[in-house]
Amino acid sequence: MAGFKEARGDLQLESVTKTFGDFTAVDGIDLTVPRGSFFALLGPSGCGKTTTLRMVAGLEQPTAGRVMIGDTDLTGSRPYERPVNTVFQSYALFPHLTIRDNVAFGPKRRKDKDASTRTDDALELVQMTQFAGRKPHQLSGGQQQRVALARALVNHPEVLLLDEPLGALDLKLRREMQVELKRIQTEVGLTFIHVTHDQEEAMTMADTVAVMNKGHIEQLGPPAHLYDLPRTRFVANFLGQANTGVGAIEGTDGEHLVADVFGTKVKISRARSQVHDGEVLFGVRPEKVTVSRQQPQGVGNDVKGVVRDVSFLGVATSYLVDMPSGATWSCYEQNLDVEPIDLRPGDEVWLTWNPGHAFGVPVEEA
Amino acid sequence: MSSLAQVSQVAGDPAVHPTAPAPETEKRSWTAYLLLLPGVLWLGVFFILPLVQLAAVSLQSRFPGFPGYYYRDLNFENYLSALTDYAPHFARSFLYAGLATFLAFVVAYPLAYAMAFKAGRWRNLMMICVVAPFFTSFILRTFAWSQILADEGPVAAVLNFLHLLPGGHIINTPVAVVAGLTYNFLPFMVLPIYASLERADPRVIEAGGDLYANGFTTFRTVTLPMSMPGVLAGTLLTFIPAAGDFVNMELLGPQRGKMVGNVINDQFLAVPGGYPVAAALSFTLMAAILAMVFLYVRRFGTDELV
Ligand SMILES: Nc1ncnc2c1ncn2[C@@H]1O[C@H](COP(=O)(O)OP(=O)(O)OP(=O)(O)O)[C@@H](O)[C@H]1O
Ligand SMILES: [Mg+2]
Repeated sequence: MAGFKEARGDLQLESVTKTFGDFTAVDGIDLTVPRGSFFALLGPSGCGKTTTLRMVAGLEQPTAGRVMIGDTDLTGSRPYERPVNTVFQSYALFPHLTIRDNVAFGPKRRKDKDASTRTDDALELVQMTQFAGRKPHQLSGGQQQRVALARALVNHPEVLLLDEPLGALDLKLRREMQVELKRIQTEVGLTFIHVTHDQEEAMTMADTVAVMNKGHIEQLGPPAHLYDLPRTRFVANFLGQANTGVGAIEGTDGEHLVADVFGTKVKISRARSQVHDGEVLFGVRPEKVTVSRQQPQGVGNDVKGVVRDVSFLGVATSYLVDMPSGATWSCYEQNLDVEPIDLRPGDEVWLTWNPGHAFGVPVEEA
Repeated sequence: MSSLAQVSQVAGDPAVHPTAPAPETEKRSWTAYLLLLPGVLWLGVFFILPLVQLAAVSLQSRFPGFPGYYYRDLNFENYLSALTDYAPHFARSFLYAGLATFLAFVVAYPLAYAMAFKAGRWRNLMMICVVAPFFTSFILRTFAWSQILADEGPVAAVLNFLHLLPGGHIINTPVAVVAGLTYNFLPFMVLPIYASLERADPRVIEAGGDLYANGFTTFRTVTLPMSMPGVLAGTLLTFIPAAGDFVNMELLGPQRGKMVGNVINDQFLAVPGGYPVAAALSFTLMAAILAMVFLYVRRFGTDELV
């Protein structure tokens, strides 16, 4: 095949920018995705996820920057020259071809001798063998999505781009496909770039998660790191829940910063705060907060609030607590005790947490 | 209503009227018939009746000695004469119509493709240009072509200057007829192809590129097949009227070697006592076109257009 680039290695984006007219959809992204890793791209609608994938696939050329796989510069090359396949957000199946011919399209173009067996295997994998003879318009949305997945997977590309590939599936099938995808990815050792709206999906499947916002990457890292130590307000709120408050940093106490949040002195580990003077957005995850009726002795880091809502969840009880600042915090109590504290809305409670769990990020969104 | 009837049937009660569920469905179908009525009436009066009349005429015989007078008959010789005497005219009609259809396709496809994918903000202007000829009459446009292709006209002059015109003329040749047919039916080819291309999801065409098909292969395996319903409609809309056309031959064609449309026209209007043969020719033409269309659609038809 003329022009086909047998590139191998890590996927690298170097200050990749894409503008449409005077609108910047992707703004100078730098990114390295190690070969064989499962990379999730998470972000709100319109933040540039699809545009980023399209530049990797070659369907869109970056306005500036480079796209590389290993040492091969793919910038400017055509989509069919790249060892990259896409599962389109809108499936984009060939309406005039049967399911089988849809899946066999890639292998046939590459003159693969095993095209037929590979197609069968791919159909088997997504449980679509029995529909092989149908046309796409005769399938449900979820079935079409699985065909789109098979059509890309069958080629074993160096990089597989998945643009919300499981969005139309019901929960059960979705979980099955997640496991299946993860299995394929580890088995074949392909690089997967997975775009999703589903945080849980991103966190359970990916080795690395990148949170995107307004065309740039806010933060990138292993899911647990991102959750534990968000570096921006956007990430803190986008990934999981966060109890937050705005405060002014007043000084230090050993390894901790001390901030005044609405009359309460809170401590944040120095290393866990992105700002060290002036205003800070202080935050702590709900499951890290303990609730009690009495003020805990000698711990510090405590705030008195009023219970607004109690919901019993089985393994835990969830509380919504109105804070003096006017914010509403959420926290959990594991149902471990023989005699639970049995709080009612309107009760006064003390919330406390280990300063090591708190984080500080800039108040302004970048 | 219907559930009541079912229950009573299960219970074996003969007292309930067995046609109980009928009124509702009857009402619904009446609405449908009412909606059909104007169309059916129109077609009945202005299409079916004349067709029956024409069929009757095509089997009539002349009164010997009284030119222009006929009597009712089952004279199939009219058809025999249509097929034997005018076989070359039929052949020419289908040949010229086929050539014009092919040429129109060759011109129309790139045009429709450009309009659908490349034109951007020029798209509406291009669309207006494609339909603009409809604002003047068919005959007038064909007259204009007779000027353009005339011996003193620009086309013949340029070609003669370049010594590219062996016969020296374009006007009054089959070439002019095919050119006229191609021109006159071009919009009927462009519009359906454009519609089917415009409807195609650009992501699907991108998927071809993503799956290792280069530009040409993507066109051959994705874009073209996706636009087949439009191509099919366009070729039918061009071939059918072109095969029965007589205006282009009349105004642009040679004196001898006419098309079947001209023969029918002459038999009806110019030849005394030509009515039955003209009618038989018309029916034969219709049957032949129907048969060809049937075979063509059977061969190339897609799910959307069969
Ligand atoms: N061809 C285009 N012309 C102009 N603007 C575009 C074009 N493609 C995308 N955009 C804009 O770029 C931004 C990013 O679009 P993109 O499709 O990458 O979003 P996304 O993150 O995939 O969103 P979603 O989660 O809704 O799919 C959007 O604001 C969109 O309007
Ligand atoms: Mg998208």
